[in-house]
Amino acid sequence: MRAADVLGAEVLGPDGVRLGKVLDIRLVQDGPMLGADCALRIEGFVVGKRWLASHLGYDRANVNGPALVNAVVQRLSADNRFLSWDDVAQLAPGRVEARVSQLGPVPTLVDGQIKT
Amino acid sequence: MTGRALDLTLHLLDRQVLDQDGGMVCNVDDVEFLVPDDGAPPYITTLLTGPAALAPRLGGLLGRWVLSAYQLLGERHDKEPDRIPYELVTDIAASVKVSRTRAEMGVHPGEDRARQYFVDRIPGARHESS
Amino acid sequence: MKKMLQVTLGILTAIGGFVDIGDLVANALVGSRFGMSLAWVVVVGVIGICLYAEMAGRVAAVTGRAVFDLVRERMGPRTALLNLAASNLVNLLTLAAEVAGVALALQLATSVSYLLFVPMVAFLVWFVIWRMPFEQMERMFGLAGLALLVFAVALWQLGPDWGSLVHQATHPTVQSGEGHPTYWYYAIALFGAAMTPYEVFFFSSGAVEEKWSTKDLNLERANVYVGFPLGGLLSIAIAATTAVVFLPRGIEVEHLSQVALPTVMALGKVGLALLILGFVAATFGAALETTLSSGYAVSQYFGWQWGKLVKPKDAARFHAVVLLSLILGVMIVLTTLDPIKVTEYSLVFSAVALPLTYFPILVVANDPGYMKDKVNSRFSNTLATAYLILITVVAVAAIPLMIATKAGQ
Repeated sequence: MRAADVLGAEVLGPDGVRLGKVLDIRLVQDGPMLGADCALRIEGFVVGKRWLASHLGYDRANVNGPALVNAVVQRLSADNRFLSWDDVAQLAPGRVEARVSQLGPVPTLVDGQIKT
Repeated sequence: MTGRALDLTLHLLDRQVLDQDGGMVCNVDDVEFLVPDDGAPPYITTLLTGPAALAPRLGGLLGRWVLSAYQLLGERHDKEPDRIPYELVTDIAASVKVSRTRAEMGVHPGEDRARQYFVDRIPGARHESS
Repeated sequence: MKKMLQVTLGILTAIGGFVDIGDLVANALVGSRFGMSLAWVVVVGVIGICLYAEMAGRVAAVTGRAVFDLVRERMGPRTALLNLAASNLVNLLTLAAEVAGVALALQLATSVSYLLFVPMVAFLVWFVIWRMPFEQMERMFGLAGLALLVFAVALWQLGPDWGSLVHQATHPTVQSGEGHPTYWYYAIALFGAAMTPYEVFFFSSGAVEEKWSTKDLNLERANVYVGFPLGGLLSIAIAATTAVVFLPRGIEVEHLSQVALPTVMALGKVGLALLILGFVAATFGAALETTLSSGYAVSQYFGWQWGKLVKPKDAARFHAVVLLSLILGVMIVLTTLDPIKVTEYSLVFSAVALPLTYFPILVVANDPGYMKDKVNSRFSNTLATAYLILITVVAVAAIPLMIATKAGQ
């Protein structure tokens, strides 16, 4: 499976309701050993609608300047949600099925650590 | 780096890959996941690069157009991207570092072809410009 | 003197942006038609390019990544590819015009048709990129371009009414007989020249070629704050000479020879000789800047090895793009298209590409993931926000204004 198969994929709830698109893939480096270090494994998906506003880091990483850009981009990406891997029922190219219909907020990333 | 978290498009996709001497190898055009049968989370096994990796991300007409532009330049026709095993990655920051030299990576057939048929035939190609 | 030599990257970048062939004529034309009433645009442009070039250079010094890397990483491969197409169209048109510009300067010196010089000039541009070390290149053409300071000397010699020039500049009004849309069309052209994207492609890639690191941030800032204001000064000096000589007589500047006339009037043959040296150096420098920028932008988008700091055989695709751009550029020139008109049009198109280039620079310069503690200060962020809005307005207004004024006629 390639990232291109998942990025932009439609995310569907248990009743087939659309929850948004996969905007990004959250990875944590504690997967199986690969070479000298652990592999990057999928922790979950950032789900939402607005592509560009969600690839700048304002919504979920510690990028916050300039204030005006921050405010506008935050607003545009305010309805982004997080789908944890544990809540994924099925993964197919272009399509992710979730076990839940309510998704939580996107946990913030600061210096490579997830803040809750 | 164990335990570190990052977001794929924010921190890894489209970044420059550098070899152990700082030479520019390629960009991370896509990555490949292994999806375990037991439902455990998929993990990255390979970085993908080259037109066959980039084209699907561009999508549609634009992707096909880039692919055929490459084929016009004599790029391979099999549409398989070039691969860098994840084991070789030593650092993911503003650029992605790998523990090999450019020559050992073997991921730029286009570069080799440009060198072989074009640049190497011009006098001075093998000299530093200083 | 040693300090002077260390800021030549900034000087060459600025000369290529502010006084390339199109701008030499555009500045003179603006002076002859609008006097000093557009000088404020140059000042606004200098502040804007200083701000964003400083960010781009700082990001390059801290991370080793040049502008088009950032464009692709932040805008994604699709939008970045559109930006690449637009920017390279601008680069190619400008490059063609600069090659013709060097040839036009040589025509001015020899009275031999510029078309005969074109292949030779293109070959020399290629040869410099192929063989000359980056640092030597920027010193040679950056410093020789300073011969254009002869415009400032000529202005002094012409003994103008300084009070009136200052008044025109500080109380801008649209000259009678000129329409407001035309005034604003030239305002956008001058602003676009100051902030043209190939300047940041070249400057940031040059920072990587020179192996600047976090330790060199003061040097990086010195390059920005010396180079670009100098470019702006030259641009204003040119407009002032034609404002003094042509505006009162109602003569409109159209040719390079007319740009030279006030200086020849003031300083005679010595003035002309310096001027031709300056013209050749500035247009040749701009040709190098745009040719290299094409190679840099394409290579960075695709992740290929680029730059003059490795042997050409180790950056084969980069050198292939460079040579291909030059060949295409020569083909454009040999169609006998008016090179000066070409840069005027390409300037307007570059205004459209501005936001797609400067926005990602601003975002990355604020990202601690790239910059650690070297992120933007609150002061530069406030200014940068204002310029981002301005750039967007200009990008939206550029094409309608070009059509409405028939490109300023």
